[in-house]
This record gives sequence, C-alpha cells and structure tokens, in this order.
Amino acid sequence: MDALISYLVNVISLGGTYALLALGLAVVFSVLGLINFAHGELMTLTGYVLLAGILTGQPFWLAVIVAVIAGGISAALMEFAAFRPVRNASGATLLMTSFAVSMLLQVLFQNGISPRGQAVPVPTWLTTSLSIGNSQISKVQIMSITVGVLSLLALKFFFDRSYWGWAIRAAADDFEIVGLMGVKASRLITFAFMLSGLLAGVAGVLWVIQRGSVDPLMGFKPVLAAFIVAVIGGLGSLTGAVAGGFILSAIEIALQTWLPPNVMPYRDAVTYTLVVIILSIFPNGIFGKKTQEKV
Amino acid sequence: MSNSLLSTTDLSISYGAVKAVRGSNLEAKEGEVVALLGPNGAGKSSTLRAIVGLIKSQGSVNFAGQDITGLPTERIVSLGLSLVPEGRRLFPNLTVSENLMLGAPRKAKSDDLFDDLLDRLPILRERLQQVSGTLSGGEQQQVAIARALMSRPKLLLIDEPSLGLAPTIVDAVYQLLSDLRKTGLAMIIVEQEVMRVLKFADRAYAMSTGEIALEGSAAELRTSDEVKRVYLGGAE
Repeated sequence: MDALISYLVNVISLGGTYALLALGLAVVFSVLGLINFAHGELMTLTGYVLLAGILTGQPFWLAVIVAVIAGGISAALMEFAAFRPVRNASGATLLMTSFAVSMLLQVLFQNGISPRGQAVPVPTWLTTSLSIGNSQISKVQIMSITVGVLSLLALKFFFDRSYWGWAIRAAADDFEIVGLMGVKASRLITFAFMLSGLLAGVAGVLWVIQRGSVDPLMGFKPVLAAFIVAVIGGLGSLTGAVAGGFILSAIEIALQTWLPPNVMPYRDAVTYTLVVIILSIFPNGIFGKKTQEKV
Repeated sequence: MSNSLLSTTDLSISYGAVKAVRGSNLEAKEGEVVALLGPNGAGKSSTLRAIVGLIKSQGSVNFAGQDITGLPTERIVSLGLSLVPEGRRLFPNLTVSENLMLGAPRKAKSDDLFDDLLDRLPILRERLQQVSGTLSGGEQQQVAIARALMSRPKLLLIDEPSLGLAPTIVDAVYQLLSDLRKTGLAMIIVEQEVMRVLKFADRAYAMSTGEIALEGSAAELRTSDEVKRVYLGGAE
C-alpha cells in the first residue's frame, strides 16, 4: 500500500512535468510541423532566471513567476529570430534550425555562465516531507503535483473555451484552413511559441526545484523524454501528449522501483523497448490520427 | 444594373512549370450567383483558392472596389470574402460549435448570427457538442457552409458543394444556398453537377485547361451544344 502510494506520487509528479513539456512541443508542432529541440534550453534558461532571482534576494514566488514569464518571452524571441526567417522552408531545415538554436544556447550558457552545474537554493519549507500513512512525501513533490495538475486543468480550459485555444487545436487539424477563418498565421505562430515557452518555464521550474541545481545541458534529457512522450501520444495530439506523459512516467518509475539491481543499468534500454512495443501496436501514437493522403 | 463585386483581371496561377490557370477574367456582381464549370484539372479550385489568397497568382483581383491582390488570406476574409473549401475541410477534432465560433472574427459579437444559422439548420443544433469528424457528409457540408457564413461575407465561394453527397442531401444543400441567395448573398459555385448548378445560377463560366472557354447566362449555357458535348457526352 505504502509502496503503491509512493509509486503513484512519483508517477504523477514526473508525468505532470513530462506532460507539460510534451504539450509545449505539441503546440508548436501543431502550427509549424516542427519538433523544437531547443525546447529543453528554454527550461534551462528558466532555471538560470530562477537562480538569478533567488540569488538577488527576490521572494521565491516572484523569482518563480519571473522565470516562467522569461520562458514565454524567450520562446517568442526564438521564433522571431530563428524560425521566422525559415518559415516556408522544408521540415528538415526547421529541424536543423532547432538543433542549431539548442547548441547555440548551450554554448552561451557554458561560456557565459559556467560549464558546471550550480546549486539552486530552494526555500527550506519546501525541503521537508509530510507523512501519509507510513510513506513520506516531500513537499517538493506535493508542489510539483499541484502545479502540474493545475496547469493541465488551466490548459484544458484554455483549449476548450478560448478563441486562441480553438485556433491552436484547429491548426493541429488543418493549418491552411485556420487562415481562412481570419486568423493571422504569424500571430498564431508567435502565440503558440509563447505558450510553449510558458509550459517549458513551468516544467523547468519544477525540474530545477526537484533536482536542486541547474546546468547548461540539463534540458536535453527531459526534452528527449518529452519528444518520446509526444510520439507515444500521437504527434500533434494534445490529449495524447498528456496521456503519453503519464505512460512514460509510469514505465520509468515502475522500472526504477521494481527492476532487480543487477538489471538496473539497462533501465533506459528496457524503457525504450517498451516504447517500441507500444509504437508497434499504435504506429501513429495512441491518440494519433491516421496519416491522411493529401488531396 | 448592379455593381461589380468581384473581378479578376488576367489571373494566372502556376504550380512550378505547370500553368494551372492562364489569364482568366471573371466577374461576380452584387447578389449574383455565378457558376464555374469545367472538367477536373481545368483550374476551378485553383481560381477560388487564389482569390482568397491561399495560393500565389499573377494578375489582379478586385473586391468591393478594392485591389486585394496579394493580401494575406485573413485580410481578404475580413473584407467579406469567404470560401467553403473542396472536401469541406472542417476541423475534425473540434466540435460543431467550436468550428462555427472559429469562423467568426475573434472580437465579433456573433450570437445572433449563430442562432440565425442554427434556425436555418436545425439538425446542427442537436449536434453542437459533437466532434465534427463524426458527422455525415451532408451535415459536414452544412457546417462548412455555416462556418464560412460566420464571418458575414458579401461573397461566398463554394467549391464542389455536392461532392460525395447523396442526391437528396444535395437537394438540402441547394435549398440552403437558395435561402441564402434570398438574403442578397453573392456566390461563386464550382460544381461537377453541371445541370443542377446551371438551373440555380444567374451566370456561368466554363473553364477548360486553365482558360475560360465559355461564358454567358446560365440559361444560355444550359442549352449550349458545347456544354452538352463537354459535360454530358452529347446526352440529354
């Protein structure tokens, strides 16, 4: 029972972060058909802004808000500087551009800040635990679950009820026709990047607080996981991104918890084998559309 | 005589080296229903798509006294032109209601129009919360037309309204178009069902391999030997 509770807590807190990251990728994929591999560097950047806020003595909540907003603004700037000039180029060009932006930011962080990781001093009230039954749940995890779940609910509301939410979902179905609805394509793309940056910001803050440090390359692993999550869920499907986030998290934590110690070094290999099995059953992802022929 | 609402001058469209449309001059007057005929590949859909700025073209397009050549699609839509694309192209994962609301400009007060359209299309009222990809073809066509009307167009461009629909459903679609015509809405209709659209339209153009081969009143074209030969295999 206690093992189950702590398992679920871990799955939900990691899954929520994966879901936010994957949603960020999916939103940009919806409007541009681009997997933005520089998404992870938005997380890293958020982490550095958070660190700067804390080190300059700002209240924690203010540092968090500024960091998340910095994620959103940076994403919009990234779109303007890097992706807008190649908007009508092929998918491969866009993908290469995203790798270039990712490397550029990593080098900037390494040379401009420090190649080594830096500790992020989290307020002491976050470092304690609560006991539920016999299991200990850290407040960081409780916060991470609360923020993750609230963010997902807010997004659900946004996608179901707001004009821009409909526009992004519509773009995932048929981008060309969104223009016919009177939506300005460039504005929709900027908006999608900004939303994706805010999501990377929230995920980045959760990620940094959980690991307690920030380093120039920290964005790579979670964005790779988010990419896998988006593919499992079905590229471009927003529901799929959320479901995929929790599925990958459930697999990873289960292996982490119950895999025998001598097999543990192969954990990632086992994880990705399971992912391949899922994809062989659902080639377009679990919520993916069948690829339709272009008329 | 009523005023010209839309005119294209020397409109040409190329896909790479292939010229899909060569120097076409089309006109639609206020309140007029114009049919655009032609076999597959004649350039009808390309013409409609170029008018609303979805594809690049040479030549010029004038709408409501304004040169709209090269304007972005969303500007053209905001001036009062709307397209019902070939194959409906609804957003299949959005509900009927969301499809319709997205058709209206963001800040517009559209509740009255929304209700008015649902009064015309009562079947859709029951389907508002249904995901549009699950509707029947006829219902999808009705949603597609209603969605295009949400931007309050002066001229509606309709690409193949009867495509893939059973004859009784086609009757319903044309009944809707006929109701809309009474409100003074001008239309350009691309249609494979030549005789049906010629009975409905005021005037018609027949395209062939990217050029306008014939034009005249719908009544004239209905009795034209040329039209019968090309579209009806000499029958009737």
